[in-house]
Amino acid sequence: MSLRLVRIDDRLIHGQVVAGWLRTIGAERIVIVDDATARDEFLREVLVLAAPQGVPVEVHDVASGAARCSELAAAPESVIVLARSPRTVLALRQAGVPIEVVDLGGMGAGPGRRRLHKTISVSPDEMRELRELEQLGTRVEIQIVADDRPIAFRSLDSGN
Amino acid sequence: MRAFRIVIAGHGTLPAALLSTAELICGPIADISAVGLAATDTPDRYAEALRAAIGHDHRRVLVLSDLLGGTPFNLASAIARRSPRVVCVSGVNLGMAVEAALTDGDLTDEVVERLLEAGTDGIVETERHRARRAS
Repeated sequence: MSLRLVRIDDRLIHGQVVAGWLRTIGAERIVIVDDATARDEFLREVLVLAAPQGVPVEVHDVASGAARCSELAAAPESVIVLARSPRTVLALRQAGVPIEVVDLGGMGAGPGRRRLHKTISVSPDEMRELRELEQLGTRVEIQIVADDRPIAFRSLDSGN
Repeated sequence: MRAFRIVIAGHGTLPAALLSTAELICGPIADISAVGLAATDTPDRYAEALRAAIGHDHRRVLVLSDLLGGTPFNLASAIARRSPRVVCVSGVNLGMAVEAALTDGDLTDEVVERLLEAGTDGIVETERHRARRAS
């Protein structure tokens, strides 16, 4: 078994996730790994409100998230892992969490960010982190909603 | 007369369409606005639009949002958690929107309960509904 979906999405839980992904992959649990959210009780509470009934939501910082994700990857339950940034997923990978594919689902535009594809924009640091993930054997793909055909990050990376 | 403001919050053109359709049923509705989340909106920009629609006076506001867990609901419930004058509901449909628009008086707990019921009461399947009506 493995983590069913590991997704980078700066909105964490939102419509595409609850109405689309959750249903498509039959996820039974949502695990959020984000240092800032883990520290903020208010943000945690609002995120838990966002999930449908019957789907537990856990919020972890990177340290406790790595242990939890490794444990869940070995269990039969279908799990969605959400992180806001490539840095978090890279940290999980470096801590030994088995991540076969990481999905780029929502990375907003902004100053210093370059558009990679549709609603996916990246900073130079994030480009480096995504390349590093690929070097560690994790496939990086863009798939905004479950119906989309996944696009390989590699095919969009001109190396600049 | 209704003593609270209504904001319909949702994805795409649904809020505007729901508002104009509700007006088709109950005539022009006062003190109501629709805030749609466009694909190109950032959460920050949408939150700004929501706050503007909610207003900065001290009136009570009912936010009717579409999808539980969607960005409009998430941002509106974050606002509602911080300011007790704002109440956020999800799963809005035409029945609930019309019921809210026609409400008299204040936004009390009873009113909120009644709106939640109005939202679900109108969800039936014909045959099951017929059997229940007949029994």
